[in-house]
Amino acid sequence: MAAKKKLRIQDLAKIREKTKSLMTIREGEGRARVTVHMGTCGIAAGARDIMDALLGEIDKAKVQDIIVTTSGCAGLCNAEPMATVEFKNQPPVKYGCLTPEKMQKIFIQHILGGQMVTDLVLAVGSETMY
Amino acid sequence: MITFRMNGLEVKVEEGSTLLDAARFYGLEIPTLCYNEGLTPYGGCRLCVVEIGEGLRTKLVSSCTYPAEEGLVVRTDTTRVWAARRMMIELMLAMAPGSKVLQDMASRFNVTRVRFPLRNDECILCGLCTRICAEQMDAQAIGFQERGHKRKISTPFDMRSETCRLCGACMYICPACQLRCQGPNAETAICNGCLTMEPTCLEHYDDLQCWMYDAGRCGTCVREKT
Amino acid sequence: MKHYRAHLLVCAGTGCVSCGSFKIKEALEKEVKKRDLQDQVQVVATGCNGFCERGPIVLVQPDGIFYQLLKVEDVPLLVEEHLLKGRPVKKLMYVPPAEKQPVPKMKDIEFFKHQRLIVLRNRGRIDPEKIEEYIAFDGYEAMAKALSEMTPEGIIDEILFSGLRGRGGAGFPTGKKWAACAKEKRAPKYLICNGDEGDPGAFMDRSVLEADPHAVLEGMVIGAKAIGASKGFIYIRHEYPLALKRVEIAIGQARENGLLGEDILGTGFDFDLEIVQGAGAFVSGEETALIASVEGQIAMPQQRPPYPAQKGLWGKPTVINNVETWATVPNIIRRGADWFQGLGTETSKGTKIFSLVGKINNTGLVEVPMGITLREIVYGIGGGIPDNREFKAVQIGGPSGGCLPAKLLDLPIDYESLTAAGAMMGSGGMIVMDDKTCMVDIAKYFLNFLQDESCGKCVSCREGTQRMYEIVKDITEGKGKESDLALLEELAQITKDASLCGLGQTAGNPILTTLRYFRHEFEAHILDKRCPAGVCTKLIRYVVLAEKCTGCLSCKKACPTEAITGTLKEVHSIIQTKCIKCGACREACRFEAIDQQREEAIQII
Repeated sequence: MAAKKKLRIQDLAKIREKTKSLMTIREGEGRARVTVHMGTCGIAAGARDIMDALLGEIDKAKVQDIIVTTSGCAGLCNAEPMATVEFKNQPPVKYGCLTPEKMQKIFIQHILGGQMVTDLVLAVGSETMY
Repeated sequence: MITFRMNGLEVKVEEGSTLLDAARFYGLEIPTLCYNEGLTPYGGCRLCVVEIGEGLRTKLVSSCTYPAEEGLVVRTDTTRVWAARRMMIELMLAMAPGSKVLQDMASRFNVTRVRFPLRNDECILCGLCTRICAEQMDAQAIGFQERGHKRKISTPFDMRSETCRLCGACMYICPACQLRCQGPNAETAICNGCLTMEPTCLEHYDDLQCWMYDAGRCGTCVREKT
Repeated sequence: MKHYRAHLLVCAGTGCVSCGSFKIKEALEKEVKKRDLQDQVQVVATGCNGFCERGPIVLVQPDGIFYQLLKVEDVPLLVEEHLLKGRPVKKLMYVPPAEKQPVPKMKDIEFFKHQRLIVLRNRGRIDPEKIEEYIAFDGYEAMAKALSEMTPEGIIDEILFSGLRGRGGAGFPTGKKWAACAKEKRAPKYLICNGDEGDPGAFMDRSVLEADPHAVLEGMVIGAKAIGASKGFIYIRHEYPLALKRVEIAIGQARENGLLGEDILGTGFDFDLEIVQGAGAFVSGEETALIASVEGQIAMPQQRPPYPAQKGLWGKPTVINNVETWATVPNIIRRGADWFQGLGTETSKGTKIFSLVGKINNTGLVEVPMGITLREIVYGIGGGIPDNREFKAVQIGGPSGGCLPAKLLDLPIDYESLTAAGAMMGSGGMIVMDDKTCMVDIAKYFLNFLQDESCGKCVSCREGTQRMYEIVKDITEGKGKESDLALLEELAQITKDASLCGLGQTAGNPILTTLRYFRHEFEAHILDKRCPAGVCTKLIRYVVLAEKCTGCLSCKKACPTEAITGTLKEVHSIIQTKCIKCGACREACRFEAIDQQREEAIQII
């Protein structure tokens, strides 16, 4: 058995930091939520590559509290692949016609930086339901 | 020395004494069955229960095992205590009606009926035999097996014991088998012959067979109201 | 740590495991891999979620969607629809009884939303076999605080002020017990965790040990610092193999990481733990009997005083507390005594875990603040009685407790109010009964349990339970006499008075409470020779109602003793001497033509 290092009090806090993503995901909390639309149209247009790119960026940046989820078709099939970025207490922002590179830009500028990438934005806010 | 109150009297006993030791020292009578001076107290028969505490916090404890405590309040003969003692005798009689010790106790403490079907187990599981075998005879040849209603006394794995020296101490000390009650119908009923103060046994035997010979304790104060 | 976008939390408490949750987990892992999602989705086996009625259970986070009653065949659909396409699967969700729409999120389900999780805070969200996950959710933080910043007296004061009372049943103030032991000068001192949990229907401690074993370990280290103990024992009944396994893993991981053993967290404090297995006796849950069992002797209770805090394991000062009590301790140290004081009632602080079982829609484990009413638990969290039957009674506190009737449904639950009503908090088992339950039969069940489990030392307990059982059994067989009730009450009261330990001292409760609230049922059995609930087989008989029988032969085929005669299209009839009252005929009959009559109706004819 490999000799494990005995923990000190500071180590407990470090472990807690490292596993913070665990806490956020398991409790369903996060500061932002990104939905990659994966209806049949989305997947056909390459949504899985968008997903991989997004997760890759999250890993690289080592952020812990971004929730990534999927959903079905958003309705605008010829703008797929699409992704929606939602910050707490802010209207959702829909991005369309994505490529892995565009997803990376959105991640760095909008999700990390807080600034919408206006030339890639399709719409802001949700549709009204009658 | 520990000071406490027993039946309103202030009593002083040495450290390590039990309530039973204190009572006996001061001449207060507490009935016992599974207690024997030469053996460790067991506290199983519950005959020696006394009431301790005051107000809402009173409870019954076996005096043979309860250590004397500074400032304790003890009462040895309350209605609650006697209701318990009489029920214990009734329950034990239902197990071994043929025991003279139990029949005598029934008469003495005015237990006149057994409301449970008789079992004729012979053994009342008081543990005197196991303790004398272990503590005085150093053999530990017999012990308790199982628990609850399956409890019994036997040798390990019910096999013939190699450590038993056939000394007979267990038979000597057993309250159920040391003396068989000689009263007529003793195996199936409660005799109570002595209660009527008529020496019924004299109709059958030459000698008086019962407790009345025991230094004149008539027990009138513990009779039930009929 | 790898960042997954979704976690599939598969409930792996014993209840769900016995429904096949490990197979579900395997299937999920396979399907996730098949879809190439293994780097995005983590499948985790957690401890018991509490909603055992609905196992196997999977919780999908961060969406918070609750899936239940899963089968292996459901897995591919779940993975494709929910994880790939983001469309939660409606048909796998929970639909409340008597309703049509599913409730997708766990936090909206009635069963969960009224609970207040403190001891069970980690249930269903961590893998109990991974110490990092326990630490992630503030684990061992309280222990670090206690070992580095607090004094033993400070810890005891905190526990004392919190008002924490022992959760094993007696409700003795934990702080007082610790203070008494801390005062003792002799060494070494010991700690024991009582995981014997013998009450029928109780599985709170099992759940805590399976779902969050580190909480117990952390509590014990804190306790060890408070009273000055150097060694502790966790006593787990051997009927809990999963709990034994998880605690063993937890102890191993804690030792590896320097959180148990010598020089814990580098603070210089030494404390180690060992597991001791129980051997199948209910009485070994009594603290002095448990100590005897740990010492390797037969589990028989001893006279107290001396109390274990003065003279316990091997004659040394020992503190014994229940699993739930130990698991509450880190929460109090971490969040403060004042926080704990804010929950519960005047005399009973904090929360309590109850196992809600019996005739209830939502069977499972619930943690609620003290002071909640029975009605809220039975109808709110529990979802009411199945088939809309009438509530009759709830048995609280196991064989030492009592049955409370419908008129007490608004009773707030705390130690004192339950004792005043004749029941007892006990370990927290709650068995709900409907109008088809016979209270005499229930008394008989518990007395049978007690006569088996009595250690046998005291005449009052051993003979008392046997004779009470004998009398009640006769009553259920129609042999009861009028004098029986007075005799039962006398015997029950004396058994309580004269016995040495808690088992005997509460052995009279099953009879005393059922007689107090359901005397009419006993009288029906004795005087009318009738079982109103239709349970006691000797007091009921089955007859075919001629006007409804169509001669379909269904009952005849179902009868195991060939007690039914009749040919096709001919009215059947039951031969009473051959009938064993199993009820199979009634269940098989599609025309409601078999009636269960009470014995008395026959005599009138």
